[in-house]
Amino acid sequence: MKCVLVATEGAEVLFYWTDEAFAESLRLKFGRSENEGEELPALEDQLSTLLAPVIISSMTMLEKLSDTYTCFSTENGDYLYVLHLFGECLFVAINGDHTEDEGDLRQKLCVLKYLFEVHFGLVTVDGQLVRKELRPPDRERRVQVWEHFQSLLRTYGRLREREQCFAVEAVERLIHPQLCELCIEALERHVIQAVNSSPERAGEEALHAFLLVHSKLLAFYSSHSASSLRPADLLALILLVQDRYPSESTAEDDDPQETDSFSLPEEYFTPAPSPGEQSSGSTVWLDEGTPPTDAPQIAEDTLQMLVPHSPVASGPRRIFLDASVKESHCPMVPHTAYCLPLWPGINMVLLTKSPGSPLALVLCQLLDAFSLLEKKLKEGQEAGTTLRSHPLMGDLRQRMDKFVKNRGGQEIQSTWLEFKSKAFSRSEPGSSWELLQACGKVKRQLCAIYRLSFLTTAPGRGGPHLPQQLQDKVQSIMQEKLTDWKDFLLVKSRRNVTMVSYPHARAPRLVHFIYVDRTTGQMVAPSLSSSKRISSELGRGPLATFIRTKVWSLIRLARRYLQKGYATLLFREGDFCFSYFLWFENEMGYKLQIIEVPVLSDDSTCIGVLGGDYYRKLLRYYSKSHPAEAVKCHELLALHLSVIPTDVLVQQAGELARRLWETSRLPLL
Amino acid sequence: MSRWERGSCVLKCLDHWMKGNMAPFCSLARWNYFFLYDGSKVKEEGDPTRAGICYFYPPQTLLDQQELLCGQIAGVVRCISDISASAPALVRLRKLKFAVKVDGEFLWVLGCAVELPDISCKQFLDQLIGVFNFYNGPVSLAYKNCSQEDLRAEWDTFIEQILKNTGDLHKIFSSLWNLDRTQVEPLLLLKAALILQTCQRSPHVLAGCILYKGLIVSTQLPPSLTAKVLIHPAASRHQRRPAGGGGPQERGAALPPNVRIMPVFLTEEEATSLREFPREQAASPAAAPARLQQCSAQQPPHPRSTGAPTDNATGHVEPMAWMLAATPESACPDVAWPDGKGENGHLPGCDLENVKPAKLHSPPRDEGPGLGSSLVKELHLPWGEEEPDLSAIHIPEAQETETSSGYFALPSTGAPDGGGPCFEEFVRDSGDPAPESRDAPPVVMAISSVLSPSTPEMLSQNGALEQHDDLPGDSSQAPFPREDHLPGRTSRPRSWPCSDLRQRGTALPEGEQGVERSVGAHDSCSAPGGSALPESQDDNGPSADRRDPGLAPASCMGLVPTNLYTHSVNGLVLSLLAEEPLRGDDAAIEEVYHSSLASLNGLEVHLKETLPKDAAASPSRTYNFTHYDRIQNVLTANLPQTATPQDRRFLRAVSLMHSDFAQLPALYEMTVRNASTAVYACCSPAQETYFQQLAAAARSSGFPSPQDGAFSLPGKARQKLLKHGVNLL
Repeated sequence: MKCVLVATEGAEVLFYWTDEAFAESLRLKFGRSENEGEELPALEDQLSTLLAPVIISSMTMLEKLSDTYTCFSTENGDYLYVLHLFGECLFVAINGDHTEDEGDLRQKLCVLKYLFEVHFGLVTVDGQLVRKELRPPDRERRVQVWEHFQSLLRTYGRLREREQCFAVEAVERLIHPQLCELCIEALERHVIQAVNSSPERAGEEALHAFLLVHSKLLAFYSSHSASSLRPADLLALILLVQDRYPSESTAEDDDPQETDSFSLPEEYFTPAPSPGEQSSGSTVWLDEGTPPTDAPQIAEDTLQMLVPHSPVASGPRRIFLDASVKESHCPMVPHTAYCLPLWPGINMVLLTKSPGSPLALVLCQLLDAFSLLEKKLKEGQEAGTTLRSHPLMGDLRQRMDKFVKNRGGQEIQSTWLEFKSKAFSRSEPGSSWELLQACGKVKRQLCAIYRLSFLTTAPGRGGPHLPQQLQDKVQSIMQEKLTDWKDFLLVKSRRNVTMVSYPHARAPRLVHFIYVDRTTGQMVAPSLSSSKRISSELGRGPLATFIRTKVWSLIRLARRYLQKGYATLLFREGDFCFSYFLWFENEMGYKLQIIEVPVLSDDSTCIGVLGGDYYRKLLRYYSKSHPAEAVKCHELLALHLSVIPTDVLVQQAGELARRLWETSRLPLL
Repeated sequence: MSRWERGSCVLKCLDHWMKGNMAPFCSLARWNYFFLYDGSKVKEEGDPTRAGICYFYPPQTLLDQQELLCGQIAGVVRCISDISASAPALVRLRKLKFAVKVDGEFLWVLGCAVELPDISCKQFLDQLIGVFNFYNGPVSLAYKNCSQEDLRAEWDTFIEQILKNTGDLHKIFSSLWNLDRTQVEPLLLLKAALILQTCQRSPHVLAGCILYKGLIVSTQLPPSLTAKVLIHPAASRHQRRPAGGGGPQERGAALPPNVRIMPVFLTEEEATSLREFPREQAASPAAAPARLQQCSAQQPPHPRSTGAPTDNATGHVEPMAWMLAATPESACPDVAWPDGKGENGHLPGCDLENVKPAKLHSPPRDEGPGLGSSLVKELHLPWGEEEPDLSAIHIPEAQETETSSGYFALPSTGAPDGGGPCFEEFVRDSGDPAPESRDAPPVVMAISSVLSPSTPEMLSQNGALEQHDDLPGDSSQAPFPREDHLPGRTSRPRSWPCSDLRQRGTALPEGEQGVERSVGAHDSCSAPGGSALPESQDDNGPSADRRDPGLAPASCMGLVPTNLYTHSVNGLVLSLLAEEPLRGDDAAIEEVYHSSLASLNGLEVHLKETLPKDAAASPSRTYNFTHYDRIQNVLTANLPQTATPQDRRFLRAVSLMHSDFAQLPALYEMTVRNASTAVYACCSPAQETYFQQLAAAARSSGFPSPQDGAFSLPGKARQKLLKHGVNLL
């Protein structure tokens, strides 16, 4: 019983998603009250009818009380409603089956909003314009847009439930230095350089290229001119790829008929480690010694992965990511993402920058300045006269004049003139309210230019992009390079054996752990497969499932306590003992003193990466007190059997963290 | 805010973060809003919202604001109920959270600060509603029968009392206000318990509690009821007619001084639980005094200081009792003791050897009705070193009987549905980690374990089932076989079929002698003019008739009219819940009054003298702790009135962890740590304990290290809390 709704202040539905159970409950509700034979209203209208009182009431409360609803829960927590206001849009998530808690729901909303930003960029700043994107008047187009985001939400939900990397929101790497090096070299020479030296590239500049095996990162290469990609953006790209080419472990439950293509038991090529092997103590952390040729040859058809869900054109897609443009940081710079499937389960992603990115920077800076102005006007202390003398205004006027002169659009010119007359006129300065109106208009015009430049002419809508032949060429080169490795990779990604022997041989009573480097946004953990067919280091079946639920609840608890400022936790629940540690260290691994982690309210954007980038803020916050050195942030979550004494547990956790740190020091990128 | 704006506002966000971080944990200490809204008055489009507002706190809120909150929240509640088929229990805003309860057309809403855990907010609302219903009956009837002004005054009184007496910790746990037992002489607690027992022997009286300056000294009531009795209604209240209850009961004689009797309303569960255990007495008369003793002895007199005279006791009762409380199944075999014998067959012997001599050797020598006080001496003296003249009463097998006091929890754990209050009390006793928790004489417990069968099987085996059935609801008229030791006492006589009792007596061979004695004596004194329950109802026929019209609606709302007798002696208040006929029964009122007056006076003087004036915690506090008794719903803590920053950090952690303990039943231990403090908590089905060291710990990195002080907290807690009577071993 799940539902997500995005609505305007006037309760117009901008987007919705429901699961089957929720849709069914709506049908029952409306089927009962409506006359027989009469057609039921569309699902979106049903939702709008039902939730309109809540939406309107939350707007009323905001207006009258400067406060608004964030959460409802019914008796016994049967139903949970989470509301989050982003700008002018109200996001609502509902759960009626106890499967998600408030944090989960809020995170889902933050992720959805982040996905909107990835797709629409700065257009999301303006409520009216984003409405045009999310709710196109053309019904067919609207259905298309909604289906796309519905599918993304489903994929996100699936990944968050099943993949550890999405549960903790960090990128999981496929660790194999030798192969990694090979791939990086190929990406550099045969992808990035090949594209950038091609005369057919139509002004596009290849920035990043990376290889994914299922949801795990194999290799990543960035061109020299590119700025680094945020972990959040990388995760979002993985989500997009997984949505377009769902890999078998995350999609199998949706397509049970596909299981027949998997007739071979997977033990055939990945035998479950026998106890003897486990206790041998050989750390398989870096199992370079496993040449792919040693793996038994698997018939091509047995590894046939699922075909993509929808045969949507796998063409390039416009996305907006953080980047540095001309030395200055700029959020939501337009990029074009090409997802090139090599084999089922193995994909290459190529990111290019369009020639328009300097314009994005200018627009971004102007919008930033106007937003600041708007804020000051809303606070009310700056009337027209004092505002005019504000240093910000002079600078803004100059830049805006220049921009309008260069762009020369009719509408922006008149809007800007109107604003100037209100703001700078000596004879009749406009009131704050008038200025606010004018400011809003200018912002809207700027957003409209942004939309026109980057969305209307997006590659998906026929805008400029790399020619197909070039894409094909790059794709086939990578296929060629990796063809010997692909089976090995597919298996390895399932059993991404980090330290098979570690938990058992070196740390008795340790059941599971997750180690995250929040600076790079990467995590390491023994695999915990949700698949019925593929065993993980914990085996499969009820025990593995049980432990998975424990791990997931540990992640939730850790998040909740971190939100409230607790960086160290130790819980004993039933037969298990959970521990969570967050610490900071410098580049050399010297542990720095812990600081007061901010205490956030329950309705704050969640502790995560995809929706909110919490750790980035935390690192900046910490760095303020350590300006001289590069600060790194790490997390360790461990699950032990509760018979373990606390001191042994802590000692084990410390050793584990040290070993993982050493191995993560190996250069991989 | 868009991501982009977020990006440009990072520094501002950080400032905001820091501010949030430093914000004191004080907003917990107030309620923002409370209101009662009657949706039936606002049906039409034109109806003003204000017509539906029955009560609004704080009263000085602008009417527009009141209308806004009532209207919006009522609308949202209706909308959510439509979608989810159940009303929201909690509506949260950014800065406020509202606990919501829908009662027909009425809507109760309590607005608290967001820092207060959800669960506490809901419990507070439940408590408020409970208090209102207790004194005024069902809300719909109350508002039909009384003016809004009267009820507003009533609400103001309730809320003022609650706000005045509820500290941060009490808010988090929504616990009762209890006397710090470590500050009170244990004998006084026992005395209070005995006063209650004495009163309980008067006709109609069900159970009660004693408060001193608004704090619980001793209670026989379940926590939910004690919470209601703790709060007094507005002064003018008792002159008003009850809302849903009976008509006026014309009283011939004036009430004794300082006594008030007012109609109150129990929920059905409360009524059942109160009436249940005297009925058990009826089924097993010989056990009655023992059961009384047991109930009172288990609840209040748990002195938690190591200074208690019974400190020599080991805590070995407790682990077993915990286990029993947690696993009722294991208790079942013992429930079925067929002949009332202890497992080791030892307990009945105890009874004969110890109790009887005690009775014989210490005849009541106190002032008139002083059964209570004489019992105090009789029963308590084995441990009371102050009066060596009676220490001759030797209890040879104290250890064994202690063990058995764990066992006697069994019968009721085996019958959880029927066991109502007893179950709770047993768990309370057995779950109490304080080693001193058994300062009630083990002898008495032993008797009760033998002679208080509470399961039907037991009864039928004793051939007493018919009798049990014959006397349904006979609660106030329980027989008191030992009254023969108090010949001067004039109690309302009762009649019992001797044959039944004898039968049972023979069914209990080990205890036969004692039972026979009691039965015989009882018969002789109760024979003339006895009034069993049917008769007594006949006696009060008219009043019962008068009550009928009011009773019907009240009952159908799940509320049972009852009387609350209160007698205040300066700061001390005796509150007794009694069956309705008490109001019309002057003789019974006199009896209650006179049987307790002297003891109450004495108790008041003693409490005034012994209670320290200033309860401030010692300045040399090196740690904070809070021990919460989940069963009795009371707290023991050492936090000072005014919280230091470190105390506030403690409170913040406690409120978080308390919520998780409530939500995750398998969770039993937690340590949480931030840069400035570490808090350790553990819980069992019966209690929660929180511990924080105040000494500024050396700042660590947060990297897992065995040297980290946070991980040595459990050991320190175990060691330090022993002296507060909290045993975490």
